[in-house]
Amino acid sequence: MPASSPTFMSRIATGLTVFIAFLFLIPLIFTVLVSFRPETEPVTNGNIFIGSEITTENYERAFAIAPWGRHYINSIIFVTGTLVVQIFTVTTAAYAFARMKFLGRNILLFIILLQLMIPTGVLLVQNFRVINSLGIFDTHIALMMPYWGSAFGVLLLRQTFREIPLDLEEAARIDGANLLQVIRNVYVPNAIPAYVAFALVSVSAHWNEFLWPFIITRSEEIRPLTVGLNKLIKTTDQGAFYGQLMAGTLLVIAPLVILFILFQRRFIESFAQSGIK
Amino acid sequence: MTAKPSTRKPFLTYILPYLLVAPTLIFVLMFNVIPAIQTVHDSFYKPAVGLNAADKPPTFVGTQNYADLFDSSHYMGSRFLDTLSNTIVFTLATVFIGVPLGLLLAMLLNRKLGFMGLWRFAVFYPSLLPLIGAASIWAFIFSDSIGLANAVLRSIGLPGLNWLGDPNLVLMSVIIVNIWKQSGYFMIFFLAGLQNISKDIYEASSLDGATDYQQFFYLTLPLLRRTILFVLVISFTFAFQTVEQLQALGEGGPADSANLLLYLIFQNISERRSWGYVNAMSIILVGMLLIFTVTNFVFFERQEDN
Repeated sequence: MPASSPTFMSRIATGLTVFIAFLFLIPLIFTVLVSFRPETEPVTNGNIFIGSEITTENYERAFAIAPWGRHYINSIIFVTGTLVVQIFTVTTAAYAFARMKFLGRNILLFIILLQLMIPTGVLLVQNFRVINSLGIFDTHIALMMPYWGSAFGVLLLRQTFREIPLDLEEAARIDGANLLQVIRNVYVPNAIPAYVAFALVSVSAHWNEFLWPFIITRSEEIRPLTVGLNKLIKTTDQGAFYGQLMAGTLLVIAPLVILFILFQRRFIESFAQSGIK
Repeated sequence: MTAKPSTRKPFLTYILPYLLVAPTLIFVLMFNVIPAIQTVHDSFYKPAVGLNAADKPPTFVGTQNYADLFDSSHYMGSRFLDTLSNTIVFTLATVFIGVPLGLLLAMLLNRKLGFMGLWRFAVFYPSLLPLIGAASIWAFIFSDSIGLANAVLRSIGLPGLNWLGDPNLVLMSVIIVNIWKQSGYFMIFFLAGLQNISKDIYEASSLDGATDYQQFFYLTLPLLRRTILFVLVISFTFAFQTVEQLQALGEGGPADSANLLLYLIFQNISERRSWGYVNAMSIILVGMLLIFTVTNFVFFERQEDN
């Protein structure tokens, strides 16, 4: 379409885009502004954007309430530990379902797909008991384990593996490669975009997980960022210290937001495949 | 070839697929399938209470837990029924406001426009945030005395609202947050759908004198039929599961006026005497999810066959 002659409709559309975008951005903008504003000057008081000075005292107070460094490490352990195991379980299962014929294949696939219908997060009581009976309550493993099987990952990679030409596998076989070598040298390298998509969806989902970590952990040596943020919310409830709450919130959301700014297109494409999660 | 490998190989070949599938299968059985079956079983029992309750076996009560839940004079029943109706309102509002908004955003962002990265970031970043983080931001915006929403209302001469304290308003506040959070996520499916539609169709119809309005209703909507159905299904299933924001937005109160089903389950999880109800509520929740995800599954598989 020629850009030189914007019609009336297209001007309205542009105006609407800018308007909605700013409306959606307001919460983020004010989170940043309030986090640097003196706690004694709420936005209702004086200049709505910036207070009398720019201060980092909110960050200092947020740091005093929860051990954010520890929570960061815990969140990183949680998402990487989950993802690394998932990549192995998902890859082998996806290969079997994509390229092998065996008795009960469809039934086994159906059982795995039940996960899409009965999401892990919904069965809090029973999963809590499973973890307890394994004797691993309040451990990193307890956090990750329910996510180690991923129906979404199996579906996504099965689909990708199917599109890889069989000739490539046969050529490798003739060269004497065994099954694991075939998977590692033929299938994995040809499915990198699918792995990236899966990794982005998995990491952002687990980085943001709250109910399960809250229930299954007790000590701060294990609890991830979201649970630390919850503590800050509960502290803030009593005194309305929104500056420190916004500072803490930014600490939690910053990594994903920065990652998204860096890899915007990738993220959007990956999430477009995540509807079957 | 010697005889030995040829007798060994078939056995290995036979069990190999099962070995490859086993890890995923074990975790899905452990944390999804068996817990679901166990939940159905436990929903027909009441746990023992009182002294040494942990050592006593639960009592079989048939469908009593379900009957209590649907009895508005029962303490848990009245909470459950209020929460169920909130969940339905919350879900319908998210779906019927959030999904059309997602489509509108996709159409707006599917045009040639400067600073496209900024506009996409603006509408998509909320869906990346942890629900609890998003909620804490909105807890500030909705704060009674020093919040942004009331600052705006007061600046144009209107009285401030008690967004998170007024029983008639809390659910609406929670819905606003959810729509802000999810419509960008719905947008990306529509964007992908729109980009699959050939530009030629629009050009041809323009030559035939079709107006924008006609193009939208007679071309865009029918061509996006599959995407719309798909987004409707996932938006329903998501709405049943998004409850963590309540932790920062009024905790389902006052008096359960904005409570949601999964959050009510979460609130009662540590109370032993409520376990029978918790299990029955979980089954009702899973049942509602099943209706939509089975549709999703059937739809997805059909799409894959093409």
